[in-house]
Amino acid sequence: MNNVFEITKQTIREAFARKIFIMFAGISSLILILFAVAFASIGLEDLSGSIQVETGQNRGVMEEVVGGIKLFIVVPLFGGGLFLSIFSASSFIPNMLEKGSIDVLLSKPISRAQIIHGKFLGGTFVVFTNIAYLVLGIWLLIGLKFGVWDPSFLITIFTITFAFAVLYGLIILIGILSQSSILAMMLTYLIFFILSPILNMREQILLLSDNKVLEIILDILYYIVPKTSELGSITSDLAVGGSLYDYQPIFTSAIFLILTLALSIIIFSKKDY
Amino acid sequence: MNTVEVSNLTKIYESPYKKRRVTALKDFDLKVSEGTVFGLLGPNGAGKTTLVKILLGIVFQTLGSAKVLGKNISNHEVRKQIGYLPENHKFPPYLNGEDVLRYVGRLSGVSKQKIDQRTGELLALVKMDKWRKTKVKKYSKGMMQRLGLAQALINDPTLLFLDEPTDGVDPIGRKEIRDILVRLKNEGKTIFINSHLLSEVELISDRVAILNKGELIREGTVEDLTTDKETYSISLATEITEDIIKEVLPEFSVDKITSHGFELKVNNEEELNICIDKLRATGLMIKSIVHVKMSLEDMFISLINESDKAKNE
Repeated sequence: MNNVFEITKQTIREAFARKIFIMFAGISSLILILFAVAFASIGLEDLSGSIQVETGQNRGVMEEVVGGIKLFIVVPLFGGGLFLSIFSASSFIPNMLEKGSIDVLLSKPISRAQIIHGKFLGGTFVVFTNIAYLVLGIWLLIGLKFGVWDPSFLITIFTITFAFAVLYGLIILIGILSQSSILAMMLTYLIFFILSPILNMREQILLLSDNKVLEIILDILYYIVPKTSELGSITSDLAVGGSLYDYQPIFTSAIFLILTLALSIIIFSKKDY
Repeated sequence: MNTVEVSNLTKIYESPYKKRRVTALKDFDLKVSEGTVFGLLGPNGAGKTTLVKILLGIVFQTLGSAKVLGKNISNHEVRKQIGYLPENHKFPPYLNGEDVLRYVGRLSGVSKQKIDQRTGELLALVKMDKWRKTKVKKYSKGMMQRLGLAQALINDPTLLFLDEPTDGVDPIGRKEIRDILVRLKNEGKTIFINSHLLSEVELISDRVAILNKGELIREGTVEDLTTDKETYSISLATEITEDIIKEVLPEFSVDKITSHGFELKVNNEEELNICIDKLRATGLMIKSIVHVKMSLEDMFISLINESDKAKNE
Protein backbone atom coordinates (compact mmCIF):
# COMPACT_ATOMS: atom_id res chain seq x y z
CA MET A 1 0.00 0.00 0.00
CA ASN A 2 2.89 2.33 0.82
CA ASN A 3 4.28 1.78 -2.66
CA VAL A 4 0.98 2.67 -4.33
CA PHE A 5 0.78 5.80 -2.17
CA GLU A 6 4.34 6.73 -3.12
CA ILE A 7 3.68 6.39 -6.86
CA THR A 8 0.40 8.32 -6.45
CA LYS A 9 2.23 11.10 -4.65
CA GLN A 10 4.93 11.20 -7.30
CA THR A 11 2.32 11.41 -10.08
CA ILE A 12 0.67 14.36 -8.35
CA ARG A 13 4.07 15.96 -7.93
CA GLU A 14 4.76 15.42 -11.62
CA ALA A 15 1.45 17.12 -12.45
CA PHE A 16 2.52 20.12 -10.35
CA ALA A 17 6.00 20.19 -11.89
CA ARG A 18 4.73 19.94 -15.44
CA LYS A 19 2.37 22.84 -14.70
CA ILE A 20 -0.66 20.60 -15.34
CA PHE A 21 -2.19 21.59 -12.01
CA ILE A 22 -1.41 25.26 -12.56
CA MET A 23 -2.79 25.20 -16.11
CA PHE A 24 -5.98 23.53 -14.91
CA ALA A 25 -6.34 25.83 -11.92
CA GLY A 26 -5.62 28.86 -14.12
CA ILE A 27 -8.31 27.94 -16.66
CA SER A 28 -10.75 27.10 -13.85
CA SER A 29 -10.04 30.42 -12.12
CA LEU A 30 -10.56 32.28 -15.38
CA ILE A 31 -13.92 30.55 -15.88
CA LEU A 32 -14.92 31.39 -12.30
CA ILE A 33 -13.96 35.04 -12.80
CA LEU A 34 -15.99 35.18 -16.02
CA PHE A 35 -18.99 33.73 -14.21
CA ALA A 36 -18.53 36.12 -11.30
CA VAL A 37 -18.43 39.08 -13.70
CA ALA A 38 -21.42 37.74 -15.65
CA PHE A 39 -23.45 37.16 -12.46
CA ALA A 40 -22.50 40.59 -11.17
CA SER A 41 -23.85 42.17 -14.32
CA ILE A 42 -27.26 40.42 -13.99
CA GLY A 43 -29.68 42.61 -12.09
CA LEU A 44 -31.18 40.05 -9.74
CA GLU A 45 -33.65 42.51 -8.18
CA ASP A 46 -35.01 43.36 -11.60
CA LEU A 47 -35.06 39.69 -12.58
CA SER A 48 -36.82 38.50 -9.42
CA GLY A 49 -39.17 41.50 -9.55
CA SER A 50 -40.27 40.67 -13.06
CA ILE A 51 -40.66 37.03 -12.18
CA GLN A 52 -42.80 37.92 -9.14
CA VAL A 53 -44.99 40.21 -11.18
CA GLU A 54 -45.44 37.69 -13.93
CA THR A 55 -45.84 34.47 -11.97
CA GLY A 56 -46.04 35.19 -8.31
CA GLN A 57 -43.88 32.12 -7.74
CA ASN A 58 -40.49 33.74 -7.36
CA ARG A 59 -38.76 30.82 -5.63
CA GLY A 60 -39.77 28.11 -8.07
CA VAL A 61 -39.00 30.17 -11.13
CA MET A 62 -35.66 31.22 -9.68
CA GLU A 63 -34.80 27.55 -9.35
CA GLU A 64 -35.83 27.05 -12.96
CA VAL A 65 -33.51 29.89 -13.99
CA VAL A 66 -30.69 28.43 -11.91
CA GLY A 67 -31.38 25.00 -13.44
CA GLY A 68 -31.02 26.55 -16.89
CA ILE A 69 -27.75 28.20 -15.89
CA LYS A 70 -26.47 24.91 -14.49
CA LEU A 71 -27.31 23.09 -17.72
CA PHE A 72 -25.61 25.87 -19.67
CA ILE A 73 -22.51 25.31 -17.52
CA VAL A 74 -22.49 21.51 -17.21
CA VAL A 75 -22.34 20.60 -20.90
CA PRO A 76 -19.15 22.58 -21.69
CA LEU A 77 -17.80 21.70 -18.23
CA PHE A 78 -18.08 17.98 -18.99
CA GLY A 79 -16.65 18.29 -22.52
CA GLY A 80 -13.99 20.91 -21.72
CA GLY A 81 -13.02 19.32 -18.42
CA LEU A 82 -12.49 15.94 -20.01
CA PHE A 83 -10.69 17.46 -23.01
CA LEU A 84 -8.15 19.14 -20.72
CA SER A 85 -7.90 16.11 -18.44
CA ILE A 86 -7.11 13.72 -21.29
CA PHE A 87 -4.56 16.17 -22.65
CA SER A 88 -2.81 16.51 -19.32
CA ALA A 89 -2.88 12.85 -18.28
CA SER A 90 -1.73 11.31 -21.55
CA SER A 91 1.96 11.81 -20.79
CA PHE A 92 2.11 10.19 -17.33
CA ILE A 93 2.71 6.63 -18.56
CA PRO A 94 5.04 7.40 -21.53
CA ASN A 95 7.16 9.62 -19.24
CA MET A 96 7.44 6.83 -16.71
CA LEU A 97 8.42 4.32 -19.40
CA GLU A 98 11.30 6.43 -20.72
CA LYS A 99 14.58 4.53 -20.83
CA GLY A 100 16.57 5.28 -17.72
CA SER A 101 13.52 6.20 -15.62
CA ILE A 102 11.78 2.84 -15.85
CA ASP A 103 15.02 1.01 -14.97
CA VAL A 104 15.27 2.87 -11.68
CA LEU A 105 11.61 2.28 -10.87
CA LEU A 106 11.48 -1.43 -11.72
CA SER A 107 14.66 -2.19 -9.79
CA LYS A 108 12.89 -1.24 -6.55
CA PRO A 109 10.90 -3.67 -4.39
CA ILE A 110 7.60 -2.70 -5.94
CA SER A 111 5.29 -4.78 -8.09
CA ARG A 112 4.30 -3.61 -11.55
CA ALA A 113 0.61 -3.77 -10.56
CA GLN A 114 1.33 -1.32 -7.74
CA ILE A 115 2.95 1.07 -10.22
CA ILE A 116 -0.16 1.04 -12.46
CA HIS A 117 -2.47 1.49 -9.47
CA GLY A 118 -0.38 4.41 -8.24
CA LYS A 119 -0.33 6.08 -11.65
CA PHE A 120 -4.10 5.61 -12.00
CA LEU A 121 -4.87 7.02 -8.57
CA GLY A 122 -2.45 9.94 -9.02
CA GLY A 123 -3.87 10.99 -12.39
CA THR A 124 -7.45 10.60 -11.21
CA PHE A 125 -6.73 12.62 -8.06
CA VAL A 126 -5.27 15.47 -10.13
CA VAL A 127 -8.41 15.62 -12.27
CA PHE A 128 -10.73 15.20 -9.29
CA THR A 129 -9.11 18.12 -7.46
CA ASN A 130 -9.32 20.43 -10.43
CA ILE A 131 -12.90 19.49 -11.32
CA ALA A 132 -13.86 19.86 -7.65
CA TYR A 133 -12.31 23.35 -7.53
CA LEU A 134 -14.22 24.48 -10.62
CA VAL A 135 -17.56 22.88 -9.73
CA LEU A 136 -17.43 24.05 -6.11
CA GLY A 137 -16.53 27.56 -7.30
CA ILE A 138 -19.49 27.69 -9.71
CA TRP A 139 -21.81 26.22 -7.07
CA LEU A 140 -20.71 28.89 -4.58
CA LEU A 141 -21.19 31.67 -7.14
CA ILE A 142 -24.69 30.40 -8.00
CA GLY A 143 -25.55 30.05 -4.32
CA LEU A 144 -24.32 33.52 -3.45
CA LYS A 145 -26.00 35.13 -6.41
CA PHE A 146 -29.32 33.30 -6.52
CA GLY A 147 -29.59 31.93 -3.02
CA VAL A 148 -30.13 28.42 -4.38
CA TRP A 149 -27.90 25.91 -2.56
CA ASP A 150 -28.94 22.70 -4.25
CA PRO A 151 -26.14 20.16 -3.60
CA SER A 152 -27.10 18.00 -6.60
CA PHE A 153 -24.84 20.14 -8.78
CA LEU A 154 -21.86 18.87 -6.76
CA ILE A 155 -22.50 15.32 -7.98
CA THR A 156 -20.98 16.42 -11.30
CA ILE A 157 -17.57 16.38 -9.56
CA PHE A 158 -17.90 12.61 -9.25
CA THR A 159 -19.54 11.89 -12.60
CA ILE A 160 -16.94 13.92 -14.53
CA THR A 161 -14.13 12.30 -12.54
CA PHE A 162 -15.66 8.89 -13.21
CA ALA A 163 -15.88 9.58 -16.95
CA PHE A 164 -12.24 10.68 -16.86
CA ALA A 165 -11.20 7.57 -14.89
CA VAL A 166 -12.82 5.36 -17.55
CA LEU A 167 -10.91 7.14 -20.32
CA TYR A 168 -7.74 7.22 -18.22
CA GLY A 169 -7.85 3.40 -18.12
CA LEU A 170 -7.64 3.48 -21.91
CA ILE A 171 -4.87 6.12 -21.84
CA ILE A 172 -2.84 3.87 -19.52
CA LEU A 173 -3.37 0.82 -21.74
CA ILE A 174 -2.37 2.63 -24.95
CA GLY A 175 0.54 4.29 -23.13
CA ILE A 176 1.88 0.88 -22.09
CA LEU A 177 1.37 -0.65 -25.50
CA SER A 178 2.76 2.21 -27.57
CA GLN A 179 4.76 4.39 -25.12
CA SER A 180 3.31 7.32 -27.08
CA SER A 181 1.38 10.11 -25.38
CA ILE A 182 0.20 11.46 -28.74
CA LEU A 183 -1.34 8.13 -29.75
CA ALA A 184 -2.94 7.66 -26.32
CA MET A 185 -4.42 11.16 -26.54
CA MET A 186 -5.65 10.78 -30.12
CA LEU A 187 -7.35 7.42 -29.58
CA THR A 188 -9.01 8.64 -26.41
CA TYR A 189 -10.28 11.79 -28.16
CA LEU A 190 -11.55 9.56 -30.98
CA ILE A 191 -13.63 7.57 -28.52
CA PHE A 192 -14.76 10.58 -26.53
CA PHE A 193 -15.66 12.95 -29.38
CA ILE A 194 -16.59 10.62 -32.24
CA LEU A 195 -17.18 6.96 -31.40
CA SER A 196 -19.18 7.34 -28.18
CA PRO A 197 -21.59 10.00 -29.58
CA ILE A 198 -22.10 7.93 -32.76
CA LEU A 199 -22.79 4.75 -30.78
CA ASN A 200 -25.14 6.67 -28.53
CA MET A 201 -27.19 7.41 -31.65
CA ARG A 202 -27.04 3.86 -32.97
CA GLU A 203 -30.82 3.38 -32.85
CA GLN A 204 -31.35 6.47 -35.05
CA ILE A 205 -28.60 5.25 -37.41
CA LEU A 206 -30.24 1.84 -37.71
CA LEU A 207 -33.53 3.48 -38.67
CA LEU A 208 -31.78 4.64 -41.83
CA SER A 209 -30.42 1.19 -42.64
CA ASP A 210 -31.72 -2.35 -42.10
CA ASN A 211 -28.27 -3.88 -42.53
CA LYS A 212 -28.01 -6.71 -39.97
CA VAL A 213 -24.20 -6.74 -39.98
CA LEU A 214 -24.08 -3.04 -39.22
CA GLU A 215 -26.54 -3.57 -36.40
CA ILE A 216 -24.41 -6.31 -34.86
CA ILE A 217 -21.21 -4.26 -35.21
CA LEU A 218 -22.81 -1.18 -33.65
CA ASP A 219 -24.30 -3.23 -30.82
CA ILE A 220 -20.97 -4.92 -30.04
CA LEU A 221 -19.11 -1.62 -30.15
CA TYR A 222 -21.77 0.03 -28.04
CA TYR A 223 -21.24 -2.39 -25.18
CA ILE A 224 -17.44 -2.39 -25.48
CA VAL A 225 -16.65 1.30 -25.91
CA PRO A 226 -17.01 3.46 -22.79
CA LYS A 227 -20.23 5.43 -22.84
CA THR A 228 -18.85 8.89 -22.23
CA SER A 229 -21.64 10.46 -24.23
CA GLU A 230 -24.29 8.94 -21.98
CA LEU A 231 -22.23 9.75 -18.90
CA GLY A 232 -22.40 13.36 -20.09
CA SER A 233 -26.20 13.16 -20.27
CA ILE A 234 -26.33 11.57 -16.81
CA THR A 235 -24.12 14.40 -15.50
CA SER A 236 -26.49 17.02 -16.93
CA ASP A 237 -29.55 15.30 -15.45
CA LEU A 238 -28.00 14.92 -12.01
CA ALA A 239 -26.72 18.52 -12.03
CA VAL A 240 -30.26 19.88 -12.18
CA GLY A 241 -31.58 17.53 -9.51
CA GLY A 242 -32.77 14.77 -11.84
CA SER A 243 -32.53 11.13 -10.86
CA LEU A 244 -30.44 8.36 -12.28
CA TYR A 245 -32.81 6.22 -14.33
CA ASP A 246 -30.35 4.04 -16.27
CA TYR A 247 -27.37 2.43 -14.57
CA GLN A 248 -26.24 0.52 -17.65
CA PRO A 249 -23.83 3.20 -19.03
CA ILE A 250 -22.18 3.49 -15.59
CA PHE A 251 -22.00 -0.26 -15.15
CA THR A 252 -20.55 -1.07 -18.59
CA SER A 253 -18.12 1.88 -18.41
CA ALA A 254 -16.93 0.64 -15.01
CA ILE A 255 -16.36 -2.80 -16.53
CA PHE A 256 -14.42 -1.16 -19.37
CA LEU A 257 -12.26 0.62 -16.78
CA ILE A 258 -11.60 -2.58 -14.82
CA LEU A 259 -10.75 -4.49 -17.99
CA THR A 260 -8.39 -1.84 -19.40
CA LEU A 261 -6.60 -1.57 -16.05
CA ALA A 262 -6.36 -5.34 -15.71
CA LEU A 263 -5.05 -5.66 -19.27
CA SER A 264 -2.56 -2.84 -18.65
CA ILE A 265 -1.25 -4.63 -15.55
CA ILE A 266 -0.98 -7.97 -17.38
CA ILE A 267 0.88 -6.47 -20.36
CA PHE A 268 3.09 -4.26 -18.18
CA SER A 269 3.95 -7.25 -15.97
CA LYS A 270 5.17 -9.28 -18.94
CA LYS A 271 7.03 -6.61 -20.86
CA ASP A 272 10.81 -6.20 -20.98
CA TYR A 273 12.25 -2.72 -20.40
CA MET B 1 27.19 -18.44 0.03
CA ASN B 2 26.48 -17.37 -3.53
CA THR B 3 24.90 -13.95 -3.82
CA VAL B 4 24.04 -14.49 -7.47
CA GLU B 5 23.35 -17.89 -9.02
CA VAL B 6 22.48 -18.13 -12.68
CA SER B 7 21.79 -21.40 -14.44
CA ASN B 8 21.26 -22.02 -18.18
CA LEU B 9 19.98 -18.50 -18.59
CA THR B 10 18.84 -17.70 -22.11
CA LYS B 11 17.27 -14.52 -23.36
CA ILE B 12 15.90 -14.20 -26.86
CA TYR B 13 14.44 -10.87 -27.93
CA GLU B 14 11.77 -11.28 -30.55
CA SER B 15 10.42 -8.52 -32.73
CA PRO B 16 6.63 -8.31 -33.17
CA TYR B 17 5.29 -11.24 -35.21
CA LYS B 18 8.62 -13.02 -34.50
CA LYS B 19 10.17 -11.76 -37.71
CA ARG B 20 13.52 -11.21 -36.05
CA ARG B 21 15.14 -13.01 -33.12
CA VAL B 22 18.18 -11.80 -31.24
CA THR B 23 19.83 -14.07 -28.71
CA ALA B 24 21.12 -11.76 -26.02
CA LEU B 25 22.16 -14.55 -23.61
CA LYS B 26 22.72 -18.21 -24.36
CA ASP B 27 22.89 -20.99 -21.73
CA PHE B 28 24.56 -18.66 -19.32
CA ASP B 29 25.84 -20.01 -15.98
CA LEU B 30 27.34 -17.86 -13.28
CA LYS B 31 27.96 -17.83 -9.55
CA VAL B 32 29.03 -14.78 -7.60
CA SER B 33 30.21 -15.28 -4.02
CA GLU B 34 29.27 -13.06 -1.15
CA GLY B 35 31.55 -10.10 -0.50
CA THR B 36 33.30 -10.07 -3.86
CA VAL B 37 33.64 -7.39 -6.48
CA PHE B 38 32.61 -9.04 -9.71
CA GLY B 39 33.40 -7.43 -13.04
CA LEU B 40 31.31 -8.28 -16.06
CA LEU B 41 33.12 -7.42 -19.27
CA GLY B 42 32.18 -7.62 -22.89
CA PRO B 43 31.87 -5.57 -26.05
CA ASN B 44 28.69 -3.61 -26.83
CA GLY B 45 25.76 -5.97 -27.31
CA ALA B 46 27.46 -8.81 -25.43
CA GLY B 47 24.48 -9.19 -23.09
CA LYS B 48 25.91 -7.58 -19.93
CA THR B 49 23.03 -5.18 -19.32
CA THR B 50 20.48 -7.86 -20.24
CA LEU B 51 21.93 -10.13 -17.56
CA VAL B 52 21.72 -7.44 -14.89
CA LYS B 53 18.20 -6.49 -15.97
CA ILE B 54 17.09 -10.11 -15.73
CA LEU B 55 18.52 -10.35 -12.23
CA LEU B 56 16.56 -7.24 -11.27
CA GLY B 57 13.27 -8.29 -12.89
CA ILE B 58 13.37 -5.51 -15.50
CA VAL B 59 13.72 -8.04 -18.33
CA PHE B 60 12.37 -11.60 -18.24
CA GLN B 61 14.45 -14.63 -19.19
CA THR B 62 13.32 -16.91 -22.01
CA LEU B 63 14.82 -20.03 -20.41
CA GLY B 64 16.82 -20.96 -17.33
CA SER B 65 16.70 -19.79 -13.75
CA ALA B 66 18.36 -17.23 -11.54
CA LYS B 67 18.57 -16.59 -7.83
CA VAL B 68 19.69 -13.46 -6.07
CA LEU B 69 20.54 -13.52 -2.35
CA GLY B 70 19.13 -17.04 -2.24
CA LYS B 71 15.72 -16.01 -3.55
CA ASN B 72 14.10 -16.40 -6.93
CA ILE B 73 14.34 -13.22 -9.00
CA SER B 74 10.56 -13.12 -9.49
CA ASN B 75 10.22 -12.21 -5.82
CA HIS B 76 10.36 -8.42 -5.88
CA GLU B 77 10.83 -8.23 -2.11
CA VAL B 78 14.44 -9.39 -2.58
CA ARG B 79 15.16 -6.01 -4.17
CA LYS B 80 14.93 -4.42 -0.72
CA GLN B 81 18.51 -5.62 -0.28
CA ILE B 82 19.71 -4.62 -3.74
CA GLY B 83 21.05 -1.33 -5.04
CA TYR B 84 21.16 -0.56 -8.76
CA LEU B 85 22.82 2.16 -10.78
CA PRO B 86 21.54 1.80 -14.36
CA GLU B 87 23.42 3.04 -17.38
CA ASN B 88 22.08 6.42 -18.57
CA HIS B 89 19.67 6.63 -15.67
CA LYS B 90 17.12 9.40 -15.38
CA PHE B 91 15.42 10.84 -12.35
CA PRO B 92 12.31 13.03 -12.40
CA PRO B 93 13.79 16.39 -13.54
CA TYR B 94 11.69 18.40 -11.10
CA LEU B 95 13.29 16.72 -8.06
CA ASN B 96 16.48 17.94 -6.40
CA GLY B 97 19.26 15.61 -5.27
CA GLU B 98 17.87 15.24 -1.77
CA ASP B 99 14.34 14.57 -3.08
CA VAL B 100 15.65 11.82 -5.36
CA LEU B 101 17.20 9.98 -2.43
CA ARG B 102 14.01 10.37 -0.37
CA TYR B 103 11.84 9.15 -3.23
CA VAL B 104 14.05 6.16 -4.00
CA GLY B 105 14.44 5.41 -0.30
CA ARG B 106 10.68 5.29 0.22
CA LEU B 107 10.24 3.05 -2.83
CA SER B 108 12.95 0.78 -1.41
CA GLY B 109 11.03 0.42 1.83
CA VAL B 110 13.49 2.39 3.97
CA SER B 111 12.09 4.02 7.12
CA LYS B 112 11.79 7.82 7.29
CA GLN B 113 14.40 8.15 10.06
CA LYS B 114 16.84 5.98 8.15
CA ILE B 115 16.27 8.01 4.96
CA ASP B 116 16.89 11.27 6.86
CA GLN B 117 20.10 9.87 8.28
CA ARG B 118 21.40 8.28 5.08
CA THR B 119 20.50 11.14 2.73
CA GLY B 120 23.04 13.47 4.33
CA GLU B 121 25.67 10.76 4.70
CA LEU B 122 25.40 9.57 1.10
CA LEU B 123 25.34 13.02 -0.47
CA ALA B 124 28.51 13.79 1.49
CA LEU B 125 30.03 10.45 0.45
CA VAL B 126 29.55 11.14 -3.26
CA LYS B 127 30.48 14.82 -2.74
CA MET B 128 27.08 16.11 -3.77
CA ASP B 129 26.02 17.76 -0.52
CA LYS B 130 26.64 21.20 -2.03
CA TRP B 131 24.08 20.43 -4.75
CA ARG B 132 21.47 18.74 -2.61
CA LYS B 133 18.88 21.47 -3.21
CA THR B 134 19.60 21.87 -6.94
CA LYS B 135 17.12 20.35 -9.38
CA VAL B 136 18.56 17.28 -11.13
CA LYS B 137 17.75 18.75 -14.56
CA LYS B 138 20.66 21.13 -13.92
CA TYR B 139 23.11 18.34 -13.09
CA SER B 140 26.02 17.41 -15.35
CA LYS B 141 26.60 13.79 -16.44
CA GLY B 142 29.21 13.33 -13.73
CA MET B 143 26.90 14.73 -11.06
CA MET B 144 24.13 12.40 -12.23
CA GLN B 145 26.49 9.44 -11.88
CA ARG B 146 27.39 10.47 -8.32
CA LEU B 147 23.73 10.90 -7.41
CA GLY B 148 22.97 7.59 -9.14
CA LEU B 149 25.51 5.87 -6.92
CA ALA B 150 24.06 7.53 -3.82
CA GLN B 151 20.50 6.40 -4.67
CA ALA B 152 21.78 2.85 -5.25
CA LEU B 153 23.11 2.90 -1.67
CA ILE B 154 20.12 4.50 0.09
CA ASN B 155 18.78 1.14 1.33
CA ASP B 156 22.22 0.02 2.54
CA PRO B 157 22.15 -2.89 0.07
CA THR B 158 23.85 -6.24 0.47
CA LEU B 159 24.26 -6.53 -3.29
CA LEU B 160 25.04 -3.65 -5.61
CA PHE B 161 24.68 -3.68 -9.40
CA LEU B 162 26.56 -0.91 -11.16
CA ASP B 163 26.21 -0.45 -14.91
CA GLU B 164 29.03 1.76 -16.20
CA PRO B 165 29.42 3.55 -12.84
CA THR B 166 32.16 5.91 -13.97
CA ASP B 167 30.65 6.82 -17.32
CA GLY B 168 31.05 10.56 -17.85
CA VAL B 169 33.00 11.05 -14.62
CA ASP B 170 36.35 12.88 -14.65
CA PRO B 171 39.54 11.03 -13.56
CA ILE B 172 39.42 12.43 -10.02
CA GLY B 173 35.78 11.48 -9.74
CA ARG B 174 36.57 8.01 -11.05
CA LYS B 175 39.19 7.56 -8.36
CA GLU B 176 36.70 8.73 -5.72
CA ILE B 177 34.08 6.26 -6.97
CA ARG B 178 36.68 3.49 -6.95
CA ASP B 179 37.56 4.35 -3.35
CA ILE B 180 33.88 4.20 -2.39
CA LEU B 181 33.57 0.78 -4.00
CA VAL B 182 36.64 -0.50 -2.16
CA ARG B 183 35.16 0.79 1.08
CA LEU B 184 31.86 -0.96 0.33
CA LYS B 185 33.73 -4.16 -0.45
CA ASN B 186 35.51 -3.92 2.89
CA GLU B 187 32.09 -3.61 4.52
CA GLY B 188 31.29 -7.04 3.04
CA LYS B 189 28.99 -5.97 0.23
CA THR B 190 28.88 -7.84 -3.04
CA ILE B 191 29.43 -5.54 -6.01
CA PHE B 192 28.59 -6.47 -9.56
CA ILE B 193 30.11 -4.06 -12.11
CA ASN B 194 29.45 -3.76 -15.83
CA SER B 195 32.07 -1.62 -17.44
CA HIS B 196 33.96 -0.86 -20.60
CA LEU B 197 36.80 0.66 -18.60
CA LEU B 198 38.88 -2.48 -18.21
CA SER B 199 41.70 -0.82 -16.33
CA GLU B 200 39.26 0.22 -13.64
CA VAL B 201 37.65 -3.20 -13.40
CA GLU B 202 41.14 -4.65 -13.11
CA LEU B 203 41.90 -2.36 -10.18
CA ILE B 204 38.94 -3.30 -8.02
CA SER B 205 37.50 -6.64 -9.17
CA ASP B 206 38.20 -9.94 -7.43
CA ARG B 207 36.65 -11.96 -10.20
CA VAL B 208 35.85 -11.20 -13.80
CA ALA B 209 33.58 -12.78 -16.40
CA ILE B 210 33.88 -12.08 -20.10
CA LEU B 211 30.85 -12.23 -22.33
CA ASN B 212 30.69 -12.16 -26.08
CA LYS B 213 27.51 -12.39 -28.14
CA GLY B 214 25.54 -13.68 -25.18
CA GLU B 215 27.98 -16.41 -24.20
CA LEU B 216 30.33 -16.64 -21.26
CA ILE B 217 33.77 -17.12 -22.74
CA ARG B 218 35.96 -16.90 -19.63
CA GLU B 219 35.55 -16.46 -15.90
CA GLY B 220 38.06 -16.29 -13.11
CA THR B 221 40.14 -14.07 -10.89
CA VAL B 222 41.87 -11.14 -12.53
CA GLU B 223 45.18 -12.83 -11.67
CA ASP B 224 44.13 -16.07 -13.39
CA LEU B 225 42.84 -14.37 -16.48
CA THR B 226 45.75 -12.04 -17.00
CA THR B 227 48.37 -14.72 -16.42
CA ASP B 228 49.17 -16.65 -19.58
CA LYS B 229 50.04 -20.05 -18.13
CA GLU B 230 51.49 -21.29 -21.38
CA THR B 231 53.85 -18.42 -22.02
CA TYR B 232 57.05 -17.77 -20.07
CA SER B 233 59.41 -14.89 -20.22
CA ILE B 234 62.93 -16.27 -20.02
CA SER B 235 65.66 -13.87 -19.16
CA LEU B 236 69.30 -14.87 -19.73
CA ALA B 237 72.57 -13.67 -18.27
CA THR B 238 74.27 -14.52 -21.55
CA GLU B 239 73.90 -12.36 -24.62
CA ILE B 240 71.99 -14.10 -27.41
CA THR B 241 70.79 -13.57 -30.97
CA GLU B 242 67.64 -14.76 -32.72
CA ASP B 243 69.68 -17.28 -34.70
CA ILE B 244 71.13 -18.85 -31.55
CA ILE B 245 67.72 -19.31 -29.94
CA LYS B 246 66.19 -20.75 -33.11
CA GLU B 247 69.11 -23.14 -33.40
CA VAL B 248 68.85 -24.27 -29.75
CA LEU B 249 65.08 -24.52 -29.64
CA PRO B 250 64.04 -25.29 -33.23
CA GLU B 251 60.84 -27.15 -32.33
CA PHE B 252 59.50 -24.54 -29.86
CA SER B 253 57.51 -21.40 -30.39
CA VAL B 254 59.65 -18.44 -29.39
CA ASP B 255 58.78 -14.81 -29.66
CA LYS B 256 59.95 -11.31 -28.67
CA ILE B 257 63.64 -12.23 -28.78
CA THR B 258 65.97 -9.57 -27.36
CA SER B 259 69.69 -9.69 -26.60
CA HIS B 260 69.02 -11.05 -23.07
CA GLY B 261 65.78 -12.97 -23.30
CA PHE B 262 62.72 -14.21 -25.15
CA GLU B 263 59.19 -15.43 -24.68
CA LEU B 264 58.55 -19.14 -24.85
CA LYS B 265 55.22 -20.79 -25.55
CA VAL B 266 54.86 -24.36 -24.31
CA ASN B 267 51.99 -26.79 -23.82
CA ASN B 268 52.97 -28.04 -20.38
CA GLU B 269 55.63 -27.94 -17.68
CA GLU B 270 57.42 -30.95 -19.12
CA GLU B 271 58.09 -29.05 -22.33
CA LEU B 272 59.31 -26.09 -20.28
CA ASN B 273 61.82 -28.33 -18.52
CA ILE B 274 63.03 -29.76 -21.84
CA CYS B 275 63.69 -26.21 -23.02
CA ILE B 276 65.53 -25.35 -19.83
CA ASP B 277 67.70 -28.46 -20.23
CA LYS B 278 68.49 -27.54 -23.84
CA LEU B 279 69.40 -23.97 -22.92
CA ARG B 280 71.65 -25.09 -20.07
CA ALA B 281 73.22 -27.80 -22.23
CA THR B 282 74.23 -25.08 -24.71
CA GLY B 283 75.83 -23.13 -21.88
CA LEU B 284 73.28 -20.35 -21.74
CA MET B 285 72.89 -18.98 -18.22
CA ILE B 286 69.25 -18.59 -17.13
CA LYS B 287 68.53 -15.56 -14.95
CA SER B 288 64.77 -15.90 -14.47
CA ILE B 289 61.68 -17.70 -15.72
CA VAL B 290 58.32 -16.00 -15.12
CA HIS B 291 54.79 -16.41 -16.37
CA VAL B 292 53.88 -13.72 -18.85
CA LYS B 293 51.21 -11.39 -17.49
CA MET B 294 48.92 -9.47 -19.79
CA SER B 295 46.88 -6.44 -18.98
CA LEU B 296 43.16 -7.18 -18.65
CA GLU B 297 42.66 -5.15 -21.80
CA ASP B 298 45.12 -7.26 -23.83
CA MET B 299 43.56 -10.44 -22.53
CA PHE B 300 40.05 -9.13 -23.25
CA ILE B 301 40.88 -8.18 -26.85
CA SER B 302 42.63 -11.46 -27.50
CA LEU B 303 39.72 -13.49 -26.06
CA ILE B 304 37.08 -11.58 -27.99
CA ASN B 305 39.05 -11.95 -31.22
CA GLU B 306 39.48 -15.68 -30.63
CA SER B 307 35.79 -16.08 -29.82
CA ASP B 308 34.71 -14.14 -32.94
CA LYS B 309 37.12 -16.16 -35.06
CA ALA B 310 35.80 -19.45 -33.68
CA LYS B 311 32.21 -18.38 -34.35
CA ASN B 312 32.99 -17.33 -37.91
CA GLU B 313 34.61 -20.68 -38.63
